[in-house]
Amino acid sequence: MLQGELYTELKDVFPESQMEVKENEGHPLGNGGKVAVYPKTENEISHILQYANKNGKTVSIVGGGTKRGFGGLIDSADILLSLANLKGIVEHTVGDMTLTVKAGTPFQELQQYLEEHNQKISLDPAWPDYATIGGIIAANESGPKRLAYGSARDAVIGLRVVYPNGKVIRTGGKVVKNVAGYDMNKLFVGSMGTLGVLTEITLKLRPLPKYESNVLLSFTEGDFAEMRSFAAAFLDSQMEPVSLELISPSLAEKLTGEKFYTLAISFEDNESSVHYQESFLKSIQPPKTKMTILAQEKARKFWQSFYTISPNGRVSNQTGETEAVLKIGVVNLDVLKVIRESHLLQDTHNLLIEAHGGLGHGLCQIVLRGGSENVISAIQHLRNFVKQLNGYAVIKHLPFILRQKIEVWGENPPYFFLFKGIKTKIDPNNILNPKRFVGGI
Amino acid sequence: MSLKGIRTNDKHIKNLANIVEGNRSILYKKEDLLAYDCDGFTIYRHLPRAVVFPNNTEEVAKIVKYCHEHDLPFLARGAGTGLSGGAIPLNGEVIISLVKMKRLISVDFENRRAVVEPGFVNLKLTNSISDKGYYYAPDPSSQYCCTIGGNVGENAGGAHCLKYGVTTNHILGLEVVLPNGEVIEIGKDGIPDAPGYDLLGLLTGSEGTLGIVTKITVRILKNPEAKQTVLAYFDNVADGSQAVSDIISAGIVPAALEMMDQIAIEAVEAAAFPVGHPKDIEALLLIEVDGISAGIDEQIHQILEVCKRNHVREVKVAQSEEERARWWANRKTGFGAMGAISPDYLVQDGVIPRSKLPEVLNRIHEISREYGLRIANIFHAGDGNLHPLVLFDARKPGETEKALKAGSACLQACADAGGSITGEHGVGIEKREEMRFIFSDEEIAAQTDIREVFNPKNLLNAGKLFPTPGRCLEVKKEGKSVTAS
Ligand SMILES: Cc1cc2nc3c(=O)[nH]c(=O)nc-3n(C[C@H](O)[C@H](O)[C@@H](O)COP(=O)(O)OP(=O)(O)OC[C@H]3O[C@@H](n4cnc5c(N)ncnc54)[C@H](O)[C@@H]3O)c2cc1C
Ligand SMILES: Cc1cc2nc3c(=O)[nH]c(=O)nc-3n(C[C@H](O)[C@H](O)[C@H](O)COP(=O)(O)OP(=O)(O)OC[C@H]3O[C@@H](n4cnc5c(N)ncnc54)[C@H](O)[C@@H]3O)c2cc1C
Repeated sequence: MLQGELYTELKDVFPESQMEVKENEGHPLGNGGKVAVYPKTENEISHILQYANKNGKTVSIVGGGTKRGFGGLIDSADILLSLANLKGIVEHTVGDMTLTVKAGTPFQELQQYLEEHNQKISLDPAWPDYATIGGIIAANESGPKRLAYGSARDAVIGLRVVYPNGKVIRTGGKVVKNVAGYDMNKLFVGSMGTLGVLTEITLKLRPLPKYESNVLLSFTEGDFAEMRSFAAAFLDSQMEPVSLELISPSLAEKLTGEKFYTLAISFEDNESSVHYQESFLKSIQPPKTKMTILAQEKARKFWQSFYTISPNGRVSNQTGETEAVLKIGVVNLDVLKVIRESHLLQDTHNLLIEAHGGLGHGLCQIVLRGGSENVISAIQHLRNFVKQLNGYAVIKHLPFILRQKIEVWGENPPYFFLFKGIKTKIDPNNILNPKRFVGGI
Repeated sequence: MSLKGIRTNDKHIKNLANIVEGNRSILYKKEDLLAYDCDGFTIYRHLPRAVVFPNNTEEVAKIVKYCHEHDLPFLARGAGTGLSGGAIPLNGEVIISLVKMKRLISVDFENRRAVVEPGFVNLKLTNSISDKGYYYAPDPSSQYCCTIGGNVGENAGGAHCLKYGVTTNHILGLEVVLPNGEVIEIGKDGIPDAPGYDLLGLLTGSEGTLGIVTKITVRILKNPEAKQTVLAYFDNVADGSQAVSDIISAGIVPAALEMMDQIAIEAVEAAAFPVGHPKDIEALLLIEVDGISAGIDEQIHQILEVCKRNHVREVKVAQSEEERARWWANRKTGFGAMGAISPDYLVQDGVIPRSKLPEVLNRIHEISREYGLRIANIFHAGDGNLHPLVLFDARKPGETEKALKAGSACLQACADAGGSITGEHGVGIEKREEMRFIFSDEEIAAQTDIREVFNPKNLLNAGKLFPTPGRCLEVKKEGKSVTAS
């Protein structure tokens, strides 16, 4: 269908002032739309979806667009539905430590607001300035501090979702504990916008820590046996780190100026508890390591720069190199093997590779930069490698052209039919984010 | 089958008996089935067709396949301590009891996970790993007997879930027999965030209506370095409630924050584990903080300050592990303690935003007066999870119905306050209608749509979780007659 016709039809169900025809720009990350709409209300979203559903139009959902390069086998859907204008706090009950917020609100805005009340959302996603809370939940983004605070699935207590047929469905509720009916929240966390448009999200909050520090422990000789036995001993202690993130030498160089395998071990608690844990670390510090303690503001600065190391789907890549990001999941301590293997690939594949992973939760992120052939080959290599560890590798960011060549989500699991069944029940006409998700869902 | 000495004309029972190895593999005589006509929710009863005791996943799969092929309703049962009727065979189900599948399969301390069979008892896990300093966090008060499979079914909570989360936050992987007998494994090796929709999250708390769990990978935690427990007595419920809010607002995340009201105190003091609580106080708080020892004193100090500011009559810190254990035994046997002051009791399980505590407790008092039944309150105050216990005497005509209505009215009060009708015990049979207090018809249909994906014939635990009109529809669709309770 011609763009003009689509525009004319949409005009009947949606305010024209909030629409925009998109020139066929062939964005290198794909996942665009012919006509962009910027609804301000849930009701407007409902009208757009009803129209799309009746007329077989596809809809691509975008929050902040930081994950534009994450999945997706279509260059352009019919409608690009942006949540950029669905912003703001709906309800913050300070005493209950719960927050209801519109999906398009940028994460950092929320954290800044909450800081005044000594509270926070305990998620630490990449690109907090750009990423919207809806996108973070839909993509199930998490960071190193997941070790202590859990991930999006643990923080979300309620959602309002516009289903593809335009109906608004509430899942969960506003209370922190709730087992009424199926735990439908879980269905939408990480669903990549393939089941519905999230319009409101209710989260449980945590108090801001009274004190924090980040201990950098660099293994100057890169001795893996040492790293492993240190990590195992530390994890077997009663200390309560909020991160135990292994950082590859090239990433460590970028963050700290020193090119060693480095552990970022963070503590957040009252001051005496944090210092106590630091001294515990000193007491078990292995030989041939260097320890630096970043306190308070310095720890925050470290993490701020850490959260902007991966490519941002919103910002165009000027380098001419191919950028890719892998999310790898393995059994906790196998993270060591994954980070080492990634590091070794730098030389064999002539790439710049920055890798990190949590030794207490098993998730790694690998950023690869270089020639596209080499990037693809390194991804394949790592996929085979983690397969032997029973893990998985999902490509979180890759240019659109390359996404056609390599399965972003990996092999379908044996129970894929259940995913398909769920998708078909909720979105029978397959209008929402088609081909963005596992197995072409 | 004759080999096992089975005497019945029901060919299905013979065939099912043949699937399961060993003796004591099936019960089918009425006198044996009586023990399975209800669970911890004793108000509705129905006899099952049979109870089978499989030894392993393959046997479960074969039984399920058999039921699927022969259109026999079936359901899973753990210890049968569920409080909402989830394991009651409403439709004369074949009960698949998982009590023989009770092995601890493996423990991996380094990676902090354990694999158990579904019939493994919750507390046994902690007991099996405590010598190495580890534990399993979800601690329902029934933990000495309920199964981890049943915990997954109900997404069970417990006193320490305020800080550490409920069952769903600790489940890393599941092996599941789907309602057609197919076996799937999700969350392989306990690795988080497997690509695709979060089936782990969906299955946990699905009250045994989406599949039967046959293997569970759970997260285990290291024991906290230090633990301190505080007991605080308040003359006034409102002061106690305010103290709860103030503790949380002070930025403290207690491991547990429990409250009991005057009637509850009367009961626990009359039961097996009295502590010597004063009987003339309106509320007590049991507060526990844990974590790094160097940080604990400061938190305890703050908690004591908060209590004093809220006119506490007396507040004390447990001086020994023995004292702490006594306080907890008194709390954890609280439901059963009602037996000491009332012939029967009905446990309810609403959730409210913490800030609405005083207002909802008042409303519950009114309900108690309206129905002329005493209502005790023992609850997880920190997360707003109320357990009104309606005391009644089933021998008095009409009183059971009255108790049910009073319980429902308490849930309405929770829903009106912006809360939920259940925080940990599940909907089961008991709260099917109350689902309407919080969900629209469309929202309920969105959930039954998901059930259809997993359980299209609705033979597995039918008639639970969702309001009855939906159920009539289902029944018609399948062209079978089902007797409602
Ligand atoms: C400033 C800006 C300019 C843009 N300019 C253009 C342009 O010129 N041309 C163009 O074609 N596109 C443009 N886009 C759109 C965007 O870059 C991609 O189209 C988008 O698909 C990729 O971002 P994302 O949704 O993955 O990122 P995120 O917002 O991080 O979302 C991640 C995932 O979650 C889904 N999701 C996000 N929010 C929700 C929600 N509330 N409910 C359900 N699912 C959700 C997304 O569909 C995606 O699968 C622009 C975006 C921004 C922010
Ligand atoms: C005194 C007392 C105190 C309690 N305290 C608490 C408490 O503090 N917190 C709390 O959350 N609950 C509490 N409960 C309720 C109950 O103990 C929990 O719901 C528990 O999780 C049920 O486990 P069970 O093994 O008894 O399961 P059952 O009662 O046998 O079954 C419960 C549900 O799970 C399903 N199910 C059982 N096994 C499986 C399986 N393997 N696969 C799939 N589905 C299955 C059943 O079909 C049923 O729907 C208490 C109960 C009592 C009697």
